[in-house]
Amino acid sequence: MKFIVSKKIIDNRALYMSVLWMVIFLIVALVLNIVAKGINFGITPEMWVNTVLGNEVEFMEPLLLSDLLLSLHTDLFGLILVFILMSALHIRSSRSKELKLTILLVSVISLLLYPVGLMASLWIGSFSILLSWSGFLLFHLLMIGSALDILILLVRKRF
Amino acid sequence: MHHQLLRFLALLFIALVILQSILGGALFIVLAGWNPDDISHYYREKSLHGLIETLAPHTLFVSVALMGSLHFLGFISTITEKKKQFFIHSLFGLFVIDQSAPLLITLGIDFFSMVKLVAFISFECVLGWVWIVMFRESLRDFLSHHSSGQR
Repeated sequence: MKFIVSKKIIDNRALYMSVLWMVIFLIVALVLNIVAKGINFGITPEMWVNTVLGNEVEFMEPLLLSDLLLSLHTDLFGLILVFILMSALHIRSSRSKELKLTILLVSVISLLLYPVGLMASLWIGSFSILLSWSGFLLFHLLMIGSALDILILLVRKRF
Repeated sequence: MHHQLLRFLALLFIALVILQSILGGALFIVLAGWNPDDISHYYREKSLHGLIETLAPHTLFVSVALMGSLHFLGFISTITEKKKQFFIHSLFGLFVIDQSAPLLITLGIDFFSMVKLVAFISFECVLGWVWIVMFRESLRDFLSHHSSGQR
């Protein structure tokens, strides 16, 4: 994907500005995604458990399987695209090879944990929702951190 | 060591893409069923207005999302032009078939429930393939960048 990883990105003003704005919008999108998930599922792992599995004491119905699948399918579609874009940019940054590989590995594992944990909650229960919650949050924080790092490198023209 | 980690990363990414396809398939089965009769029944109960209300945002969103994904292919030099064209035409073509089949089912042409099923599965598979090609290219870029940096 030479167009966003080319060393000449700084020289090409239109490309530079496009990538710069794309990174800013990716950060906003990721933050909004956390906010939207907080509204839909809740902020804490307990709130996620109540939303997905229901709570008899509070008269909360469990989430319908079709709603859970729809939410995961649409979420994952967007998050995979974010991961592809961020990894393409991240790979060519001036950070160490070990750091880049670690971030990519932890990101993809956390992104896998999010849907797997939620789906496994149908059989395992609340523990897997905790894993899913952790995966969702960790992936978003890593991607936001990487995007901010790339943004700083772009602004300083050291990308 | 790095090569092994990269291979592991690629495997995890492939698992992610497969999982996304499974989730899409599971969603379709939960909503419409898995055999052509169930699919026909599901779409026949929908009104034309309801179908168009779903079709309009899907057409806009998916075409933009496909364009966003597919334009990266233009910058990949390791696959042939023929293969790129195959990806582009098949994804847009399968999407058109997948989205127009329900309209034909509501008109009473039950054969299109089978067409819908095949188009949906094929669309998910080809999209997954494109994502894997793009990610593989990123990893190759990572390797070439660092091997040239070490020289």
